[in-house]
Amino acid sequence: MTAQILIDGLIAGSMIGLGAIGVTLTYSILRFANFAHGDMISWGAYFAYAASALLGLASTSLTTPIAPFSFGWSLPLATVVAVVLTAALALLVDAVLFGPLRARRSAVIILVMASFGAALTLRSLLEFIFTAQPAYFTDELQIAIRLGGGMRATPDQLLTLALAVVVVTAVHLMLTRTAIGRSMRAVSENPQLSGVVGIDVRSVVRIVWVLGAALACVAGVMAGLLVQIRPQMGLDLLLPLFAAAILGGIGSVPGAMIAGLIVGLAEAVAVQTIGAEWRASVAFLILVAILILRPQGLFGRAA
Amino acid sequence: MLDLFAYGAFFLTMALTYATICLGLNVQWGQTGLFNVGVAGFVAIGGYVSALLTTPEAADRVGGFGLPIFVGWAGGALAAGLATFFVGAITIRLRSDYLAIATFGVAVAIHLCVLNLEGLTGGPFGIGFIPRPFASTAGDPSVFGALNLVVMVLVVGLLYLFLERLVRSPWGRVLRAIREDEPAALALGKNAVRYRLEAFAIGGAIMGLAGAAQAHFIGFIAPDNYMPTLTFQVWAMLIVGGSGNNRGAILGAIVVWGLWAVSAGLVSAVFPPEQQARAAALQIVLIGASLCAILLLRPRGILGEVSMVSRHLGASPTQIAPATERQNAEQA
Amino acid sequence: MTRAPALTTSALVSGYDRDLPIIRGVDLKVSEGEFVVLLGPNGAGKSTLVKTIAGLVPVHSGSVALRGEDITAAPAHWKVRHGLAFVPQTENIFGTLTIHENLQIAANILPKDGRAGRIAAQYAMFPDLGLRPGQRAGALSGGQRQMLAVARALVVQPSVLILDEPSAGLSPKIVGEVFQRLKAINSTGVTIVLVEQNVRAALAVADRAIILVEGKVAHEGEAATLAGDPIVAELYLGARHSAATPVVSAP
Repeated sequence: MTAQILIDGLIAGSMIGLGAIGVTLTYSILRFANFAHGDMISWGAYFAYAASALLGLASTSLTTPIAPFSFGWSLPLATVVAVVLTAALALLVDAVLFGPLRARRSAVIILVMASFGAALTLRSLLEFIFTAQPAYFTDELQIAIRLGGGMRATPDQLLTLALAVVVVTAVHLMLTRTAIGRSMRAVSENPQLSGVVGIDVRSVVRIVWVLGAALACVAGVMAGLLVQIRPQMGLDLLLPLFAAAILGGIGSVPGAMIAGLIVGLAEAVAVQTIGAEWRASVAFLILVAILILRPQGLFGRAA
Repeated sequence: MLDLFAYGAFFLTMALTYATICLGLNVQWGQTGLFNVGVAGFVAIGGYVSALLTTPEAADRVGGFGLPIFVGWAGGALAAGLATFFVGAITIRLRSDYLAIATFGVAVAIHLCVLNLEGLTGGPFGIGFIPRPFASTAGDPSVFGALNLVVMVLVVGLLYLFLERLVRSPWGRVLRAIREDEPAALALGKNAVRYRLEAFAIGGAIMGLAGAAQAHFIGFIAPDNYMPTLTFQVWAMLIVGGSGNNRGAILGAIVVWGLWAVSAGLVSAVFPPEQQARAAALQIVLIGASLCAILLLRPRGILGEVSMVSRHLGASPTQIAPATERQNAEQA
Repeated sequence: MTRAPALTTSALVSGYDRDLPIIRGVDLKVSEGEFVVLLGPNGAGKSTLVKTIAGLVPVHSGSVALRGEDITAAPAHWKVRHGLAFVPQTENIFGTLTIHENLQIAANILPKDGRAGRIAAQYAMFPDLGLRPGQRAGALSGGQRQMLAVARALVVQPSVLILDEPSAGLSPKIVGEVFQRLKAINSTGVTIVLVEQNVRAALAVADRAIILVEGKVAHEGEAATLAGDPIVAELYLGARHSAATPVVSAP
């Protein structure tokens, strides 16, 4: 095993962690496992892909890579656009599907079922529009930088790592220091009481969807940049996301990130020792272990 | 004309294999309320075990047992039932959404094993030359189709009768008691977990049987046959037909399979050959949207019982978060 | 001078389940500055009635009005912004948030410059809360939780304060303190509607009492009069007390 595992694990883990934060927030406030979250990641990546392509058509200077990275300004700009569009998509799905089911006081299991249906619909819609062929944000190849200790990473990878740290910190500060963060934590604990103290729970729900979608979009852009963009990319991440969210403890943002890193590192170890084709089993094993041994996760509230 | 009959027979035969899966899922969902998102995995086990037991020898792969077809089917059902029992033993105490995630994970794990353990399962290329029932009549499509159809009709019919008897048996009554008033059932000394586990395993075994049947009718299986899409199709069939209801399971399978076949036909007619894969995705979009629509507009499906469903679908508004099982129980 | 009463309900029918109304036609009128207590045997629907007014239980028919304005269909968070504060019986504070955060959440509906002052006022009224405001509210004792729940409701300076059995699970000494505090709050002009099982303590501080039985108003009157009224005993306690013995002593 080489030290490169650390870098690979941290990078994969930071993407999983970002996605898991979105899952843990929506799970703790909306109270159901949203199987469609993975497809928000995919849609986020594709929105950015389309926007970036359009921007590139508008002006080729936007696609000129910003040294030392592999992408031009079209990508960050496209990401901003994609975040807005992904948030809109999440709100649309809630308005059309989850909201009405919630209003009818449907059981958790019906919401999960509906999310499963929405997931497949969204995924297949992507496949229909873009085909199953992998797509890429850029054709530029990158040379990995030596980091010492036998580890290497490309500038893109280091940037995404830094971005993940910034995003997580921002989300954590928001939850702990701002009024909206307090409102979200309150709704997560007790939605009825929240209404009684004056919190507009519907508004908080919308904000949670937007935040979850934004995080998913950023995770999708990162994965698309570092690996590739495919309609299945979200589905492939879904099990690691759930594993990380549950391992970290539903509702805990730092927990989700730390757990994401753990899953990422474990996957990196598995890839080196058993083989890349068994990567997906890691998340599954972690999930089963946690559900049996400590279902509330590392930082969650005991049920 | 005869070709049409052969096609129709094959269509109905396949629909009935799906109906079998639905019946198995109905035992799990309808009788015990367990949301199994890993259906595809257990169907895969049934298909692969049966294939391995009955196929002739193949290079780089375990095989060559060449056992009779019905042994394969029995083996597939048994293996799937055992696997389900094992999975259930670990996960059955989990709350409903965690169970959903766990079973989803199980299906992913099974898919991974089937894909990677090439020495056992033939890897991404799958297993071919699976013996077909009444293979000697394969030369005459109508007779062949008719005989296979008869087999499936018998299977589904017997299964239906068996399950209806099961529901009304003492065992079934205990399950219903557990479903409707668990504290009372527990007070009477009934081990709810054991009964649920048994129902879960029976459902899994039925799914395995269906997987075996499918494998033998098509003659060839590969890991890609057992993706979440399959789980999703089966759930759509059960919901459309009417969950909690065995007749609904069968009806839903035929209806949704029919829609699937019709949409496949439309798609291949409308889209040029090079766009077929893409267009197939559109089929799934339509089915997915239909499932969501059914959940919203007529959640009890065509034949479903209102009482069964209203327990899960709720009645009155003004709740922001979904009703938890605890809340449902408190206000029931 | 006729002002609209602080709180009224009119032929109110409500319940969690559309087919099973728990409140079956209640007309209520609470005047401004009044201290009204809702009494009644278990299952009479007292909790359900106040929860309906607060917006937590669906209304089947009838109406609720706050200072003359129809608030029947208004969501819970709207009502508190218009002066109707509710303290539920259980789960009435956010245990995973700190004491200070609980108060901050309540103050959030006030204009920005007023918030700190209102929170400080609660620490002044309930000094125990100010000792360790950064403490997780879930770690507080029963009495302290109740204090926090009431403080939280008072942050917004409500015109109407509704409390559902604030004495439940508290020791008699603390119960006395709670009721004295409520009397003091009432004397500042806040209309109070109190649901209580502790008949004696409640009648000692209230102006008027309304007795609910099986979802309807069975009896009402001045608290002082009701204290000695054998009807109260009948409606409540059945055959346990004779008609001649007063149930509670006058204040």
